[in-house]
Amino acid sequence: MPIQLTSQAYCKMLLHAAKYPHCAVNGLLVAEKTKEKKKDSHSEPVLCVDCVPLFHGTLALAPMLEVALTLIDTWCKENNYVIVGYYQANERKKDSRPNQVAEKVAARISENFSEAAIVMVDNSRLTISCFEPIVLIYDHHENKWKSREVTSDCFEDWGEAQKITSALLEGRSYENLIDFDNHLDDLRNDWTNPVINKSVLDLC
Amino acid sequence: MASVSEMYDVGWEEMRDKLRKWREDNYRNSEQIVDVGEELISEHSSKLGDDSKYDEANKHYDAILQDDPTNTAARKRKISILKAQGKSAEAIRELNEYLEQFVGDQEAWHELSELYINEHDYGKAAFCLEELMMTNPHNHLYCEQYAEVKYTQGGLENLELSRKYFAQALRLNNRNMRALFGLYMSASHISASPKVSAKVKKDNMKYAAWAATQINRAYKMAGRGTKENKCSMKAVEEMLESMQITMS
Repeated sequence: MPIQLTSQAYCKMLLHAAKYPHCAVNGLLVAEKTKEKKKDSHSEPVLCVDCVPLFHGTLALAPMLEVALTLIDTWCKENNYVIVGYYQANERKKDSRPNQVAEKVAARISENFSEAAIVMVDNSRLTISCFEPIVLIYDHHENKWKSREVTSDCFEDWGEAQKITSALLEGRSYENLIDFDNHLDDLRNDWTNPVINKSVLDLC
Repeated sequence: MASVSEMYDVGWEEMRDKLRKWREDNYRNSEQIVDVGEELISEHSSKLGDDSKYDEANKHYDAILQDDPTNTAARKRKISILKAQGKSAEAIRELNEYLEQFVGDQEAWHELSELYINEHDYGKAAFCLEELMMTNPHNHLYCEQYAEVKYTQGGLENLELSRKYFAQALRLNNRNMRALFGLYMSASHISASPKVSAKVKKDNMKYAAWAATQINRAYKMAGRGTKENKCSMKAVEEMLESMQITMS
């Protein structure tokens, strides 16, 4: 089942990358938990309704990643979500391939959700106007991660996603984006980003 | 301050050619080199082409170093260029050479530890952090990062070390949440390991339980007055509970 991104998920990913232009950033993608799949719904896309920004800077250390995965998993259960994917924006502009960290986290996610996807942000195309989608989506096929062609079908509503992301980037909303690292620095920082979520809703 | 191009009424091509000439003729006029070079890079880099912007910058730094081999800033900038080009192995090699000469440069040790972490060479990253901890014994951040590296390396011995250093970081700063979570995680993993004695298991369960209480307290204090954070606190409580179940 291919994944699809809502405006909220897409724009928060880009805001995270924009907030830390000098660092690698990563995060998780979540979807609403559906009831038992019918046999013929195999090709229905999984809608990622939200993302949780995790870390910036050094992504390759285990302990906080484990804490984040467990904590967010618990939060998902309370909100009837399931973790379905992982996103990453690398440190260097020209590097947008998934690395070992991405593959490891995605493998962990796959234990709970077999069709987990990796979404990589293409830093070289990040602009304020966002006139084209700048993500690369990787699916796991035959033990390898293969990228899929990204069209507007990968979005619930590309027009809306483009409009909202561009508006928030221009308004520098990324300054208020909270990731899990910010939360660990000060527990009062809320990684569910209710303020940004509200801004997205207001712009819909 | 007027720009070089304004003062001497030269275009960017002349500036670039002048730099080349200075380098070839080994001129010792580093200040002028810096002024001209900086302006070239910052204002005209797009004309210099994408990769040649780095080449031009390198030539500029080489000229400075020829003039003054102890200019550490120029050396470090060259290493940054290697890093930006993705040449991690070379950057690591150059940084190691640099540190042989300038052993006290903490920023460099930290940068090297990050380079090693990104290459998943945790043993060498730990070594760099050990250097930093030796010269900065009161810095809770180095302690906590060292513990994270040890935890990532894995294995019972490294887990026990990581727990000790998370505890040390907490002693140095009892509000370091990463250290608190780290203590909880490492103690929990040790107590769940089949290779430990009953006493070690019991001790680590005590440490983990203590850490869990502290974590819950920290969340309670942070959540006072805010409705949203109550959700997070509940998630933490449940996470700690569920981990106890899976660990025991």
